Amino acid sequence: MADRGTSLLQGTLDLLIIKALTAAELHGLGVSRRIEQITGGTFVVQPGSLFPALHRLEEAGWLNSTWQPSENNRRAKYYTLTRAGRKQLGEETAQWNRIAVAIARALEA
Amino acid sequence: MPLLPRIASLWRNLVNARRVERDLDDELHSAFDLLVDEKIAAGMSREHARRAATLEIGRVDIVKEQIRAARAGAGMDSLFQDIRHSLRLFRRAPGFTAIAIVTLALGIGGNAAIFGALKSVLLDALPYADASRLMHLGGLLSADTVAEIAQRQRSFESLAAFAPVTSDATYGSEEGARSTRIAWVEPEFFHTLGVSAALGRTFGKEDSTSGLAPFSDGQLAPDTARVVLVTHAAWEHLFAGDPDVLGRDVRINGIPRSVIGVLPPDFIGPMGAADFYLAFDLSPVIAHPIIARRAQWLAAVGRLRSGITSADAQREVAHIWADLVSKYPEDSRSLNVTTTPLRDAMAGDTRTPLVLLMASATLVLLIACANLAGALLSRSISRHKEFAIRVALGAGRVRLVRQLLTESTILALAGGAAGVLLANTMLALVRDLAPSALPAYADLSLDPGAMIVTALIAVCTGFGFGVAPAFAVERLDAQAILRDGTRGTSEGRRSRHLRGALVAAQIALCAGLLAGAGLLTRSLWKMTTAPLGFDLAGVLTAAIRLPSHDYPTPEARVQFLEQLTDRLRVLPGVDTVATAESVPTAVRRRVGVAIEGSPPKAAQRLVLFAAVSDDYFRTLRIPLREGRTFDPQDRLGAPTTIVLSESMAHRYWPLGHAIGARIRLGANPNSPLRTVVGIVGDVRNDPARPEAEPMAYMSTRQTTAPFVRLLIRTHGDPLALVRSVEHELAALDRGLSLDQAMTLRAQIGEEFAARRLPAMLMVVFAALTLLLASVGVYGMFTSMAVAREQEFGIRMALGSRPGAIVALMLRQGAGWMAIGLAGGALGMIVVVRLLRNLLYGLQPFDPVALGGAVAVLAGCATVALLIPVHHATRVDPMIALRAE
Repeated sequence: MADRGTSLLQGTLDLLIIKALTAAELHGLGVSRRIEQITGGTFVVQPGSLFPALHRLEEAGWLNSTWQPSENNRRAKYYTLTRAGRKQLGEETAQWNRIAVAIARALEA
Repeated sequence: MPLLPRIASLWRNLVNARRVERDLDDELHSAFDLLVDEKIAAGMSREHARRAATLEIGRVDIVKEQIRAARAGAGMDSLFQDIRHSLRLFRRAPGFTAIAIVTLALGIGGNAAIFGALKSVLLDALPYADASRLMHLGGLLSADTVAEIAQRQRSFESLAAFAPVTSDATYGSEEGARSTRIAWVEPEFFHTLGVSAALGRTFGKEDSTSGLAPFSDGQLAPDTARVVLVTHAAWEHLFAGDPDVLGRDVRINGIPRSVIGVLPPDFIGPMGAADFYLAFDLSPVIAHPIIARRAQWLAAVGRLRSGITSADAQREVAHIWADLVSKYPEDSRSLNVTTTPLRDAMAGDTRTPLVLLMASATLVLLIACANLAGALLSRSISRHKEFAIRVALGAGRVRLVRQLLTESTILALAGGAAGVLLANTMLALVRDLAPSALPAYADLSLDPGAMIVTALIAVCTGFGFGVAPAFAVERLDAQAILRDGTRGTSEGRRSRHLRGALVAAQIALCAGLLAGAGLLTRSLWKMTTAPLGFDLAGVLTAAIRLPSHDYPTPEARVQFLEQLTDRLRVLPGVDTVATAESVPTAVRRRVGVAIEGSPPKAAQRLVLFAAVSDDYFRTLRIPLREGRTFDPQDRLGAPTTIVLSESMAHRYWPLGHAIGARIRLGANPNSPLRTVVGIVGDVRNDPARPEAEPMAYMSTRQTTAPFVRLLIRTHGDPLALVRSVEHELAALDRGLSLDQAMTLRAQIGEEFAARRLPAMLMVVFAALTLLLASVGVYGMFTSMAVAREQEFGIRMALGSRPGAIVALMLRQGAGWMAIGLAGGALGMIVVVRLLRNLLYGLQPFDPVALGGAVAVLAGCATVALLIPVHHATRVDPMIALRAE
């Protein structure tokens, strides 16, 4: 899926969200915390960017959502990866690597 | 996201917006709560936590807005993806796409065009106020009948008589005289119809002093009509839409009249198209009691009083009519007064053909859909492997279905768009070629209503034939297909049956349509080639109008016509010259006949009547059977003579003593006796009926009308003489013009145009369905061949002969074709029943037409299957056996 948005950042966010959900299903806040965790604190995603991204990914068919009770027994909307989403992770990762290599080369030149 | 859930999501978003909103709300609130919990767990106070959480989440409504935007954007993206994918597929298979779009265009366009015509004839509003309250009183009424009904009726709040046929007139302008058509109406006409002028005013009571009684035996009063209404089209044509036209004087038939109003653009009267409307007054006619009762030349339109139904009005008028008949039985009143809703009267007998065409067009569309469903089914079968891979890689099954439905809908919409263009062209053609085929008020164009219906048809069609392969996808067992090492082109049993059923259905429908087309065509052929009773080749015809102020007396007219025929007779290339009051097959006048000695109060039968010149029968080569035709001894003042048609002589004098008998024409028992001097061959006045109506002729020397038809038999091309005829006419009287100069064949051909149209269209439809059905058969056998390619290859490698392969294929496919033909036979029976009333000179189960239909269908189907069968036998076993 080539043109998904003009900002590189949006693509990066999608990748991170998908990665965050590979292990287990999480609710919105949980996704944000997990991303923070796996990026070692570099990326702290604000709700204003996170929730639109979650919904967009759901509309595209890569995430599914269900209402479930959370740890504190509050009801929360949990997101899981679909099979298509899992496949997308591979593609996104490959794409990312290509970009990283290209930029590295550009900077060395 | 797959289509059905996507539609569900769209539905949710649009309709169940509140639910979606609540969901969003809940999610953000829950996120807020979780955040607060987190912060409290980290040690903040509740108060502090809440404030921090609020800051972190930000303005909730802004976040909601962003979420909403993101959802909409993503949805559109995947739809665009599907569309792009579909377009790519179409580009890769241009042949299939082109055929599909053309098929759809024909099917949808045909329906749109017929629906447009049907709608404007049967459904659209007539250009009158509250048209459902208007009734048409017809048969031809005499002035006396109209006056009596007007006086005694209680059902109508207003009633107005009018001349149901427009008249030719001359319109004088600086460029010279030109012919024009005028309509005569009573002053209350427009008020009754509820029509007001676009400019100026319509007729009012004060205009009733204008007077003329057209179509009576001579003139009863001078033409004093001094005010005139002009129709919108004529206003634009003759006056260039000049807003100052009111009060202008126009010369019609040599008399200046002033324009008092312009009628609205969509207005057309029950009498048909006209340029000018003039008002007449019936009192001069009613002052002559015999003519008032005898001459039948009027129709009337009435607006029902509120609370009165059309049935009530019909009863009342029938009652008044019955009274009149019993009071004056000797008047020729064999023409019944009929009261019908105005729309029915104006739509005439176009209803049946239109409904028939609509049914045919629907059949064409159905067959087109079946065809496309079959084609897409085959394509999807060959894409099974592709689909299986995609499913294995995680594409939702439903996503695939959405893909297929998107493809088919795009095809359908493209076909629909092309179809609309086609429909517009077709309607324009009909308007130009056969204006008489449809009632005058039918505006043949695709209005928004028809467009919407067409769009709906297109979308339904897309779903209709897209659904079939979609079902096939649903049942895909991806693992099994991938495991199976074949090229994945085996047809499942289910889809094979589906395909076969589709072809059978196409064949059945096609057979019915072919039968209908065949019957109509043969009927039309019989009608047009059956002898009419006269020779119409090589005859020039034209019309001349003799204005009453230049030729006030019958003698003046007779003299002029004699001079004219003398001059024309000596022109080079001319054989004989005749004049008559009407062209054969266009005789409209009927009179009652009473044989001398029969009881005076006996009911009179009506016969056709025309006044003709001496050379009329010779010019048209109507054979003389007995006695003589007219000659100079039948002059004005001498005892009047009559010539009869054969069938009339047989009917009234079955023993054959017609010559010398004397008869009365018309109702008046004191009218002069006229002597029968000759019997001529029959002429069929109504080409649609095989029998000729009885007809009586009188000499134009003894009765002339101001309107004359010229008939000239020539050696060579009749049209070459037009200039010379005009020259001779102008030499005698420069104020006269020659109208409608054309060959007799052309003049009569116009009468046929209306009948030709439905037959031609059905033939076109039938040809289309034949093509489609053939393509269907071809497709079925092709996909069969492809599916079993490997099997056939193996068989041939093992020594099977090509004949055996052919037999295999035929056995599989022929079964379905046979079912189709059987269904077709049923369809033919239905069609015959429907068409019974439209057939001329044919038995309903005409063997030629029906046998021909079956033969054509079987032939085409055979040809269609030859190619794939032939290919199947040429399969190179090595290629077929080469596994994946």
